[in-house]
Amino acid sequence: MAARRNNPSGIVPTTQNIVSTVDLDCVLDLNHIALHSRNSEYFPKRFSAVIMRIKDPKTTALIFASGKMVCTGAKTEAQSKLAARKFARIIQKLGFPAKFRDFRIQNIVASCDVQFTIRLEKFACTSHGAFSTYEPELFPGLIYRMKQPKLVLLIFVSGNVVIAGAKKRDDFYTAFDNIYPVLAEFKK
Amino acid sequence: MATFELYRRSTIGMCLTETLDEMVQSGTLSPELAIQVLVQFDKSMTEALESQVKSKVSIKGHLHTYRFCDNVWTFILTDALFKNEDLQENVGRVKIVACDSKLLTQ
Repeated sequence: MAARRNNPSGIVPTTQNIVSTVDLDCVLDLNHIALHSRNSEYFPKRFSAVIMRIKDPKTTALIFASGKMVCTGAKTEAQSKLAARKFARIIQKLGFPAKFRDFRIQNIVASCDVQFTIRLEKFACTSHGAFSTYEPELFPGLIYRMKQPKLVLLIFVSGNVVIAGAKKRDDFYTAFDNIYPVLAEFKK
Repeated sequence: MATFELYRRSTIGMCLTETLDEMVQSGTLSPELAIQVLVQFDKSMTEALESQVKSKVSIKGHLHTYRFCDNVWTFILTDALFKNEDLQENVGRVKIVACDSKLLTQ
């Protein structure tokens, strides 16, 4: 898959966090789940979902009474699906008829290092300024909102780049391919 | 005033509950009075721990499981070290049940 990458630099962003959702398709009794499962928290006055964590893959799930579940913290898409399945299995073992409907990856966060320092002030002043927000007093990184694919990149002077908002792996590969030549222009 | 019934699960609380149950069974004590005794036990335990206990202990260990439900935290620690100024003790497995004290005064 790396061979497909036509990025001349050979740098490939690595995924750091995946957020996914799945529908267990059954009404859940959150009190019962919180009482009978390990490593869970349920404080309805603060948040109306059970917060459950598993050690392998190291992930956290938010489980709602409607049967919908959000799974965060996995490093790869496959791990996110595996973790969601493990959580669904825990719910099943507690006696609820949980199914695994409509597993969807909602957000992928990736990061990489372009190996050179970048002149952010110059970047924000050019034609790309329309997409950029750079306020060094507020936040040291430049916030680049790419239109195609629609996601956000955080570009730092050190050369570190964080890409968030991708729904598919290809999205952030494309985004990085798009931004790399632009960044190279503003190399310090 | 609501009380925390968790002290009834301690050794002394269990002994009290057993004794009261025996007395109710044999008819020497009415059930309502037994409940009043237990409520007074809860209040006395809370008050005694608040006012008469001064020592502090530091507990360090590996968190095996945690649970938070109905405003009650339950922790299970393995290889815990209980440390006091005078002594320290290693315990293989310890279960900690904790209630929020702010709820008592509400």
